[in-house]
Amino acid sequence: MTMRRKLIVAGVVVAGAMGYMAYLGAASSWQYYLTADECLADSGRFAGQRIRVSGKIAADTLRISDDRRQASFSLEGSNGQLPVVYAGPLPDKLANSIDVVVEGRLDDSGAIRAEKLLTRCASKYRSQMPSGPPPHDLPAEAEDRP
Amino acid sequence: MMIFGELCLLAALATSGYAAFACIVGWRSGHDAIRRSGLWAGAVGVLALSATSLVLLWALLTKDFRFDYVVQYCDNLLPWQYALSAFWVGQAGSLLLWAWFVAVLAAVYRFRPTGDCPNSRGHRAQHGHENGTVPLSRDDLRDPAFGLLMAFLCFLVAVMVFAADPMQPSLVAKSGAGLAPSLQHPAMLWHPPIVFLGYAAWAVPCALALAALCCPRVVGQVANLPEQRQVGNLPHDDGAQRAPATTAWAREARSWALFAWIVLGAGILLGAEWAYQELGWGGYWAWDPVENGSLIPWLTGTALVHCLMTVRYLGILKKSAMFLAAATFALCNFATFLTRSGIFSSLHEFSRSPLAWMFLAATLVPIAAGGGLLFRRRSALRADRPITSLWSREAWTLLSCAAILLLTLATLLGTLAAPLSGLLPGPKIAVGVEFYNNALIPCGLFLLAAIATVPLLRWGQPPTAEQKKTLLAAAGTGAIAVALAFVCGIRHPVALGVAALAAASVAAPVAALVLDARRSSGKPLLRRVLGVLAVHRRQYAGFLIHAGIGCFAIGVTGSLGTQREDFVLRKGESVAWAGYDVRYADLIQRDLPDKVVVETQLEVSRDGGAPFTMLPAQHLHRLQNQWAGKVAIRASWTEDFYVILHGSEGPDGIRLTCVENPAMRWLWLSGWIAAAGALVGLWPTRRAARSVGTAVVLPSRSTVHRGGSATATPTESLRAAS
Repeated sequence: MTMRRKLIVAGVVVAGAMGYMAYLGAASSWQYYLTADECLADSGRFAGQRIRVSGKIAADTLRISDDRRQASFSLEGSNGQLPVVYAGPLPDKLANSIDVVVEGRLDDSGAIRAEKLLTRCASKYRSQMPSGPPPHDLPAEAEDRP
Repeated sequence: MMIFGELCLLAALATSGYAAFACIVGWRSGHDAIRRSGLWAGAVGVLALSATSLVLLWALLTKDFRFDYVVQYCDNLLPWQYALSAFWVGQAGSLLLWAWFVAVLAAVYRFRPTGDCPNSRGHRAQHGHENGTVPLSRDDLRDPAFGLLMAFLCFLVAVMVFAADPMQPSLVAKSGAGLAPSLQHPAMLWHPPIVFLGYAAWAVPCALALAALCCPRVVGQVANLPEQRQVGNLPHDDGAQRAPATTAWAREARSWALFAWIVLGAGILLGAEWAYQELGWGGYWAWDPVENGSLIPWLTGTALVHCLMTVRYLGILKKSAMFLAAATFALCNFATFLTRSGIFSSLHEFSRSPLAWMFLAATLVPIAAGGGLLFRRRSALRADRPITSLWSREAWTLLSCAAILLLTLATLLGTLAAPLSGLLPGPKIAVGVEFYNNALIPCGLFLLAAIATVPLLRWGQPPTAEQKKTLLAAAGTGAIAVALAFVCGIRHPVALGVAALAAASVAAPVAALVLDARRSSGKPLLRRVLGVLAVHRRQYAGFLIHAGIGCFAIGVTGSLGTQREDFVLRKGESVAWAGYDVRYADLIQRDLPDKVVVETQLEVSRDGGAPFTMLPAQHLHRLQNQWAGKVAIRASWTEDFYVILHGSEGPDGIRLTCVENPAMRWLWLSGWIAAAGALVGLWPTRRAARSVGTAVVLPSRSTVHRGGSATATPTESLRAAS
């Protein structure tokens, strides 16, 4: 075998291993990347699939449980609203009429069962962005503070 | 003051534009007066931009709210050091910093004294050249490369003048909006400027490559390439005696590329440390588009640093090195495009700005120019010799560069999955972190294997019998490391593989050092070792950097063992988890002028040992009326115990998340080791030492074809050196 061919075979082995592993990673982690309108327009297609939907919480739809462990709200679309049910730690900036990103699955009733709820970061430019949920509600002693 | 700053900015625009034009035109046409006027204009531009930077810095430090930039990122209560860091937090300020770094580095590149170095124009005039040809020297590239750097500077200043002016006046000059709380962290003092310094430094190798490609003599030179080239068998840069035209730029680019590589790498690592300590989600890297944006040029830059070696030592991979130099610089601009274009709809609200498209142009132009010129000059850039053995350094370097570029491609595709899938019919899709992590595993293991093998290989020929035996011994060290890791309870196959390869990657250079030292005789072993290290300083500096990468791999692999758990604790209650006993002792509140600090006092002990106190907290920043978490970290060489305070639960309860992150210290240590290696590698070579080793003759192309038996061994190389 010529040297060129040996090098090509070695390169193909590395590339093949990486391509296969990356394919496995992509197959287990890919999700649809949608807006609320896209999700509403074709909800039958996305039922049961992993989706990531960005949108705005519709006015006066946000309900937060007393223990601040659950929230339900609707994402505003131009032709309707997309209900979301979320259980987990709540972002402290969560409020009506803000932009959020939710990740989870669409159930048969057309509601998103969200596993992740992310509020958008500050609008200023930052060189690095937070990648996890920001802090949640206040410690009891400080709740009456401004 | 503001008007002075604006005038200086405009002056920098005009002078850098003229400098770019005059340096390139003067150099091409041979008009010395025009060329010199360009140099003067460039110097004035650097000074003018420095003045603008000083004006903005002064305005921030004195909280001069007549500046719009100060209003946006400062407030009266902001401590001075964070007022300083506000310089690079905003778009206009970060561009100004980037431009200033480009200006200063261009000035250092062009105006630093070179003395009578073996490849300078003066040296060649004095000593002539044995073949009667005049090789391309570093001096020949200086003016066009400076001109190209000035063109990029002009671009950055133009972006500022037309799209993001740091000298813009404010209409409401009372107080500012303040700095986002998460940016008030010591890492923010270092991380952004270091990343921008890295971006700026990558412009120099690109300018050198494009200047060399523009040089008409590149073509003529290779035709006169001496058949018998003189090359040290062990790599140390020995100057002009073996200088064909197409490698002059590589020798000049080497130190700039290594500098840019270590600076950008340090910047990325500092960013990871900031994310780890400040963002409070328990991790340090999330394969976010912003993070990937800076990682991609660092990866291509890593490949470039290695290709430059093969260009200098063997005259191969010339086209790849030149293209990588252009691509790395272009990808720095692409990172800016990614963060400003708004092509991602994610939780990260990037500031959308029309200047993103200018940076897309700045990405495409160097790639197109480099690609076009390389195509035109392709025949002049043919390899000087073929790769003759799969078990040679150049073969492993080539394969490693291919692996690094595959990883770069995977990162790029993952980052752009959503916008690219938008071009196809159907809904957009995005990939998760598993995609990147899975792509990293085979590439990372292969690169570690290369790091462990290369010290015991030779340039241009297969290893000696002695080296082969030592390679087996290094593999044995790896096997011992696997056994030890297994005994310590590590079962994950990837972790065991990394343990083996990391151990071998430390053993291999040590064994190479011993082999080299044993060959020279007559002195005590320690002196021989020191002698080898002194003569082959740069090579062993490279191995030290490789040791840092091995350390980094241990830190990254530690993430496989990360575990986390959420708890609710009432005052006085304790919980046992992962060998730790955590007791919630108290809640403390402190009122500071700019924030309220609420800390929980946790008494923690590990495996029944002495207890220590941890203070995870939440800070309420008064100005922004925003809570920000402060995690508590207890670090050791085996793992970090990381506690996040979420908030209250019931009347006297708190909600916590405890995270155990194994081997995190190794990650941070890797940066220090690599930085030490780069410092040793970049330390200037004394002229006397530079001439050492040039007496060794590597066989010509025809000799190598015959098997390379005439080639000098490392022993001969050492003897020649001594």
